[in-house]
Parts: sequence; structure tokens; C-alpha cells
Amino acid sequence: MKKFVFAAAIISIFAACLGVCAYAKGPDVIRIGVNAPLTGDIPKVGEGTKYAAQMWLKEVNAAGGIEVGGRKYKVELVIEDNEAKAESAVKATTKLITEEDVLAIVGPQASKQAIPAGGIANELGTPMISPWSTNPDTTKDRPFVFRGCFLDPFQGPVVANFVKSEFGFTKAAVLYDVASDYPKGLAEFFKKAWEGLNGAGSVVAYESFTTKDADFSSQLTKIINSGAQFLFTPQYYNEVALIVQQVRQLGWKKPIVGSDSWGSAETVKLCGKDCYGSFFSTHYAAAGAKGATREFIDRYQKAYGYVPDDVAALTWDSVRIVKQAVQNCGKLTGDMKTDRKCVRDAMAKIREFDGITGKMTFTEEGDPIKCAVIVRISDKGEFEFYKSVCP
Amino acid sequence: MVFFQNLINALQWGSFYALIALGYSMVYSILMLFNFAHGDIFMVGAYIGFGVATALVALTAMGNFALPGWLVLALTILISMFLTSFVGMFVERVGYRPLRDAPRASAAITGLMIGIILETGNLILLGAQRISFPSLIETSTYQLGGVVVTNKKIMIVLVSIALSFALHQFIRRTRWGMAMRAMAFDYAVVPLMGVPLNRIAALTFAIGSGLAAVAGILFGVAYPVLDPYMGILVGWKAFVAAILGGRGSVVGATLAGFLLGFIEMFVPMVFPSTFRDLIAYSIILLILVFRPHGFFGEPYSARLRL
Amino acid sequence: MESTGDELSINGKLKSSRVREFVAPIPLLSWLLGALVAVALEHYIGTSFAQTLGLRKAPMLFGFDIMLKQPTLIHSALTYLVLIYFLPIIVVARLSAAGMNGLAAILIDYPLMLTVLIHLGMLYAILHWWSNMSLYRADVLRFTLIAVLLTLSLNLINGYMGEFSCSHPGFMALGAYASSVFTLGLFADDRVFGPALLPQWLGPYLFPVALVLGGVVAAVGALAVAIPSFRTRGDYLAIISLAFMFIVKSLIENLEFVGGPRGLGDQPGWANRPVVFVTVVLGIWIINNFVRSTLGKALNAVRDNEMAADAMTVDTRQTKITAFLFGAFWAGVAGGLYAHALRYINPGSFGIQMLAEGLAMVYFGGLNSVYGSIVGACSISLLGEMLRPLELFKWIIIPLLLILVMIFRPTGLIAFREFDVKKLVRPKQASDR
Repeated sequence: MKKFVFAAAIISIFAACLGVCAYAKGPDVIRIGVNAPLTGDIPKVGEGTKYAAQMWLKEVNAAGGIEVGGRKYKVELVIEDNEAKAESAVKATTKLITEEDVLAIVGPQASKQAIPAGGIANELGTPMISPWSTNPDTTKDRPFVFRGCFLDPFQGPVVANFVKSEFGFTKAAVLYDVASDYPKGLAEFFKKAWEGLNGAGSVVAYESFTTKDADFSSQLTKIINSGAQFLFTPQYYNEVALIVQQVRQLGWKKPIVGSDSWGSAETVKLCGKDCYGSFFSTHYAAAGAKGATREFIDRYQKAYGYVPDDVAALTWDSVRIVKQAVQNCGKLTGDMKTDRKCVRDAMAKIREFDGITGKMTFTEEGDPIKCAVIVRISDKGEFEFYKSVCP
Repeated sequence: MVFFQNLINALQWGSFYALIALGYSMVYSILMLFNFAHGDIFMVGAYIGFGVATALVALTAMGNFALPGWLVLALTILISMFLTSFVGMFVERVGYRPLRDAPRASAAITGLMIGIILETGNLILLGAQRISFPSLIETSTYQLGGVVVTNKKIMIVLVSIALSFALHQFIRRTRWGMAMRAMAFDYAVVPLMGVPLNRIAALTFAIGSGLAAVAGILFGVAYPVLDPYMGILVGWKAFVAAILGGRGSVVGATLAGFLLGFIEMFVPMVFPSTFRDLIAYSIILLILVFRPHGFFGEPYSARLRL
Repeated sequence: MESTGDELSINGKLKSSRVREFVAPIPLLSWLLGALVAVALEHYIGTSFAQTLGLRKAPMLFGFDIMLKQPTLIHSALTYLVLIYFLPIIVVARLSAAGMNGLAAILIDYPLMLTVLIHLGMLYAILHWWSNMSLYRADVLRFTLIAVLLTLSLNLINGYMGEFSCSHPGFMALGAYASSVFTLGLFADDRVFGPALLPQWLGPYLFPVALVLGGVVAAVGALAVAIPSFRTRGDYLAIISLAFMFIVKSLIENLEFVGGPRGLGDQPGWANRPVVFVTVVLGIWIINNFVRSTLGKALNAVRDNEMAADAMTVDTRQTKITAFLFGAFWAGVAGGLYAHALRYINPGSFGIQMLAEGLAMVYFGGLNSVYGSIVGACSISLLGEMLRPLELFKWIIIPLLLILVMIFRPTGLIAFREFDVKKLVRPKQASDR
């Protein structure tokens, strides 16, 4: 036994020596956390987040890092997987803050992870920006939590007003996923806005289904028979394909309108010709984009082989907001608490940030004021800019 | 009119439950196991079907030989059935055979875990994007007095009914079917009479997986968006249908599958659609209160292997 | 060739018996003391020692994260583990064995409760100190403890009763929502439930009431499953409970006053480490007493042979329903803890994924065994956390591990072992094996 203890001691001392040689603490490093759903229900969202963040990292470090107060800091990304679960997102956020010492966190994306994770980030005084979460609760009463996208209460009326002024319709139908937070919220705000414009009862069909359903024909039959003039369906692209194809198969020819969750290259790929001519509101239009937006799309496409969807674009803007805030902070002391507070204050002060998804200014709550874009899916299957709506 | 429209829709939706439930039901009757990997075998079947169909379409496009769409579909179904049945046999060999004498629930857990591995493996191999199933046959729509029917819907319903009928005949009339029935009757004694247990088990899984593959391909034809998690919810619901149908009854499983489809389609017709799951599964619960052995199952009090 | 194989195995046996001889005389108290020394060591020199080893911080969960993310630092992490955890525990435990055996021998004459409390106090001190290193550890600890309670309550039904229940996520959801509504309604200025009805300071004292309420609501919900399913023996519980899970999820989605699919958030964070620890220990203690009582034995009899049990005057139906409600009650309590630890719940969380995790924990650890549930819940939760850097491959490795366990130990790692506290805490002699 003595021999064993002795041997273990020798080995560990030897290893300790090795360790000392490997030890190199870079004081000039800024660590940024990314909290993404790499596994679980929505891996595609996680992939877009990761790719956009990594692309940004490459760009920043190629330029020598972030310059704060005349000093260049290299950037390190710490990407944590949150398995698309609330519990896991909380653990990942805590880990990023207490173990990885990140200056700021980007993500989580979906509201069901961003709401609890935002609570932790706020409590521990770490700035967090969720690129994609549209639930008001994410940022509510949380000075350290921001978001990169517009909210449901803004987008709902945008769509309602657009349809009203464009087509002059009076009867709407809505089909949404009752078990999912984002479609349900948007459907409610749209209904409220539409009934504000056209009076009570103007939403003639308000139908729902449950996540992972594939057959909507029962609800669509109801919608068709309700005499609605158009269908609003704030669903994700995989469901959009099925909904649109099925309603067309049932012989419906009227317009279909969607929301920013349609904004993925996969919408057209999966949906095909049936989606041509539909409209949706979103953050940016890929086809015909100019300037920085075009450049981002091209670079992303070159690196990963497909046109980035809205998650990637919003993540890209969010990491750049973080960078801007760190720069504006002016001075990093090395004390995490002060630095995080400084970054948070700088972020809240950002005005007219020139993002690829539009100009952004944060409100008191940490929500951006930004414009929405109405996009039409052209007859070639491209996302054409149709109209811009600003608050 | 709305009623008949929903009837048609429900028949199509029920077809998938029925086809998947048959696979569950066979394994459950013969080996007394919950094969929780079955939903994911359905998913694998759909992906294999996608691969085969894409390959066939590409071959046709190269101009070597011209095949009409329906023939491509038929070939896809046959080839994928064949390939997927090997997946099923593999799952049986790896996950279930070593656990022959273990508690039944342990085997159910291995099935669940194999399912997770299949999903994750798919995600690793093919990436996170959804795949759109090639449309092999043109959709033609018929209006029958206000009711819209497509050729795909008719085909799906006919194929699934034909397959469950064929399976019923197979189990009733062939020697293999007789061996399966015997096995379902007494799992312990029948192998002593010279019925090869392992081969019967493999055959059971092969047939179940073949049917799941057909369901997967038809699913792809009807709802052409494939993703690695597509099998989970459909699988669990088909599991409900399989047990509801009663142990050891092909007809029962088929009918229960269609019944589940009907309930899920007709509840939103009458009630607000937000309450669909709530009402649909309360109905199932009620059915079980009054028919605790499912539709066609016999009450049994024999000691279970648990 | 064969002879070398034999020699090797003999060698191996010798070694393992030597290890056993070395470990055998160490009582539980010594192990706890060793662990206490180890965490104290980590607390005082952990960070600086890790930095001399070239690590940025003390490894958070036994160094797995570092090993997987930066393979060049594996040796540092291993060194840290050996020097901070392994060696102190072994050395202190062995050296203090004689003294602690004496102490244990003295304690054995006092009421068992005292001994147990001393052990638990030490255990809590260890966990508290260990998790004080960072909030992340504290979070992992809390959720792991909650998982232990959930696993145990599921084991009660799947292991002790021998039925296959799929409704535990539903019970947990009921408990989580009931207790959240209680605490939010009474103690928080909430948008949904209006201003607080009772003063804040009273809240933590009434938190047990919230947990019990959660448990009771879950148990009442369980009646809906129990009444139809225990009329006969069979596998119908599996689908009735599955249907029940879908029903609960759909019900909560339609209840606007608890937020529907948007979920319910900002519960007061009363489920802190001591509260979770005490509740879980209490849960383990009560469940353990239950399964060792006459009723628990009757339950096992029903599982093994219902007809024989019936013949022996066991009221099988009542036994099963009681056990089922009891299991559901503890799942509800676990749900209440979960809601107040996470401080956000939504119906989507309580679905098939949670069911799969719960089943994995029960069967990994071992059926019909309190030890098994503790081991299963801890290993699966910690593995999930430690293998996080592997991303997708984590979901290949954990299922594979579970399949291997099922193949080689079909009832789980530590199945059918009675959890006897007296045996656990008594002094040990070298000869006593």
C-alpha cells in the first residue's frame, strides 16, 4: 500500500511540473459566452447560432481582437449546449458566468430557455442578449437582459396593418401551434390587432394544433369553410411547408401570410411552388439585399453552403452589439463585476446600431426598436423585399 | 360535407397510426415487449425511402431507363421495406435478444435508448436541416360534391388496408404465422416444441419494421418534410393504439390506429382545436375504463414475466 | 497462453481482495471525514493549486469539462483529482478508521436518530462546502437531488410495484404548477395573481405547505390513472398513464391563468440547497420506511405473484392504489422543488423527454432499490452535465452505456438491495466482511 501511495505522489508531482509548463494565462482575452440549442428539438437553430458566432470570431480575431481603451484584446468564444431545455439552459448560463468568466452571453434563442436563463444572468449581473426570443418576459424588469429582435406586440399589428392596407380584407383565419410559445403569442397579438381594425368577430377562424403534428386538414377544412379571405400562420418553416401544401391541396387559392419564422432558406426548399406569392414579415430580405447584409449572406453561404436564416442574422447582429458595447465601455479593469456592469451600461446606451437586420436602439426594457420588412416569395422562390414598416 | 371531408382526412391520418401500431402490436403479442424503438424505425424507414427514391429518380434522370412515377414509388417501397427490415432485425439482435430472460421493462429501456441513438446518429450523419421528400407522383385532386380527395390519399388508405389484410392472412394461414400465434399463446413452452424462437423473433421484427418503412414512405409522400425526431410522437401515439387494439390482434391494432386518427381529426371539428389532445386522450381513457382489455384482447391473468 | 490468462485473473483477484482488505475496516464516518477534508482542502487551496497546474480554475465537475475541451490539460486535471480528492479521502479515511470505529461503537448505544443526524450533518457540510466553490456546482447539486427524489418515486411504481408507468412527468407538472400557484398567488406581486396576499417573511415557512399541496394535487391526479388501471393486471397502466401525460400537458396549455404554453415564471427562489437537501432526505427516509413496511412487502408480493398475494389476504387493489398515489405524491413534491429551483416552468418541459430521462435513471440505478435510485439519478444527471462539451455525441454515449448496463445487469446496477441505515452506520472491523 505504501508503495502505491508513494508512486501516486511521484506521478502527481511529475504531472504538476508538466502543468506548470503548460500554464499560460492570457490577461488580454475577452471571453464571450454563446448558449445555443445544439442538441434537442431545434438543432437547426443551434447550428445557425454557432456558425454565425464562429464567423464573427474569425473576423474579430483576424483584425487583432477587440480594441478597448487603446488596448487590443483577443476574443474567445465559449459555446455551451443547452439541449433546448429550460433546466439545461439555466445550468449552462450559470456555468458560463461562474466557471468560464464570460463578459457577456449571447443566447439562449427560444423563449422557454431565455426566460429562466435571463433571470440567472440578471441576478449574477452579466449582460445577456437573446437574439431570437420574442416573449416580453425575457427582458421584463431585467436590466442586464437584452434582445436582438422585435417583439410579438409589434409584429402582430405590422402584419394586420399590411394586409388591411394591401388587400383591404375584412375576414382573417389564423392557424397556430398551441403548444409553442412563439406562434401562440404572435397569433394572439395579431388577433387583437386585426379585431381592432375590423371589429370583433373579424377573425372568423382561430385554429390550433400541437407541436410535431403533420396533418392539419381538419383545422384547414374548418378554415376553408369559415369564409376567411386570407390565412395567417406564424409557424416555423417545416410546418409552413406542410400547412401551405395541405391547404392548397384542399383547393384553397387565397393568400397566405406568415411571420419572421418563415425567414429561412428552407421554407422554399421544403414548400416548393405552393409557397410562391405568399407574404411574410421579417427582419431582413435575403434576395436583393445590399451592403453589409449582402456581404454577410455571401460570406455565410460561402462558408457553410446555405443562405443564413433569421437566427443566424440576428445572432450576427447580437454578437456585434456585444462587441460594440465592449468597445464603448472604454476600459476593462479585469474585475469581472465592474466590467460586466460597464458593458451592460454601454449596451443600454447604444443608439442607432447599424445591424444587418435594421437599425436598433434599445428601450428601457432592453428591447430594440427596429423596423420590420414585408417580404414576398417571388415566382423564382426568392425572398423579395416588398415593404418596410417602422414603429 | 365537412363530415365527409374530415372522414377522408381521418382515414389517411389513421393509416399511419395503423401501420405503425401493427409493428408494435406484433412484437407485443409475440415477445410481450414494448418496442419503444419502433417510432424511430419508422423514421429510419422514411429516410431510407428518401435515399432510395432519390437514387431511383437520379437513375431515371440519367436516361438509362425511364420509369413512371408510380413504379418508382412501388420500387421505393419494396426496396426500403427490405432494407428497413434489416434495421429491425439488427435492433432485435443487439437490443432485445441479449435481454430475452431479463425483465420486460429492461428491454423496453434498451429500445428507448436505441431510439435515441438512431435519432442522434441521423442528426450526426445528415446534419440538422430538414429533408424534403421527392414528390414521386403528381397530385391530382378530385372534387366529389364538395369533398376534396387526392390520388395520394386514396393510395395511402388502400395500401395500408391491403397490408394489414395481408398480414392478417399471413398470421392466420401460413406455417410461420402459426408459429407466431403459438408463441403468443405460450412463450415458454412453444420453443420446447421445436419452434425456433430466435428466428420467429427476428421475423417479427423484420415484418414490423417493413411495415414501419411503408408508413414512413407514405408519410413522406403525404407530408414531405422529414426530420430526425419525426418518429417520437407518432410512435408513442401508435403505441397507445397498439395496446388499445388488444394483445395479439392484427385487426384490433388496425382498427385502433384508425380510431385514434378519427378521434384526433373529429375532435377539432366539434370542439375548439386547442383542446384536441385533452379531449382526444380523455376519450381513450374512457374507452379503457369500459373495455380494460382493449378491443379484441382477451383478459388474461397469467403471470407476466416481470 | 491460457496459463498467463489464469495468472492474470488470479493477480487481479489478489489485487481486488487487497483493495477490499484495505477498505473493509473503514466505517462510513471515516469516509465522510475524508471527503470533508478533501472539500476543505479544495476550498482553501483549490483555486491556487489549480492555477499552478495550469488550469484557469478548479475543475468544476471532476475535471471532465477540461479533459474534453482541452485534451492537453488532461494530466493537470487528473493530478488535481488525485491530489485534492482521491488521496486525502483515502488517507484520511484509512488513518481515522480506528478512531471512527470507536466513535461509531459508542454511538450505536445511543438512539439511531442521533447517529443518522450526525452522518447527515457531515454529508450536508461536505456538499455545502463542495458546492460553495461556484454557483454552477450548487445548481448541479440541487437539480441532481431533485432528480433523486423523482427517480425514487418512479422506482416505487416501476420497481417495487412492477408496473410500467409513463405518467411521472404529468405528476411532476401537477405538483410544479400547484405549488407555484400557491406561492405566486400568496407571496408575490404577480401580473396574473395580483399583489401578494401574505407578507414576504412568512413565505419560506409556508413553503413546505406549498410542496405538500403540490404532492397532494399530483396524488389526486394519480387517482384518475389508478382507478381505471388497477381493476385488472396488465399493461394497460402503460397507455393509461401515457394518455394521462398527454392530457395534463394539454390541460395546462389551455389554462391561461398559469400562462398556457408561455409558462409560469418568477417563483420565489425558496428551493435553496438546505431546503432541497432536507426535503430530499426526508423523502428518501419516508419512502424507505414505506417500502420496508408491511405495505411495502405486500406490494412486492403483489408484483411477484398477484394471485398468491391475494390468497394470503393482501388486498391487492388497495395496495396498488396506495402505492401509486404515494409515488405520485413524491413526484409532485419533486415538481414543486423543481419549479422553485428553476423559477420557470412550462408545459413543454414535462413531456416525453423527461419521461425518457426518468426511466433511464431508474433502470440504470436498479429496480426495487433505494441505493439504485440514488446511484442512477446521480450518475445520469452528472454524466449529462459532464459530457456536455461532446454535444451530439453525448446522446450516443449515454444511451450506449445504458444498453450495456441493461445487457450485463438487466435489473440495473444495484437492484433489489435493501437500504438498511443501521447496517450502513455501524462500526466495521477488518474481519467483518
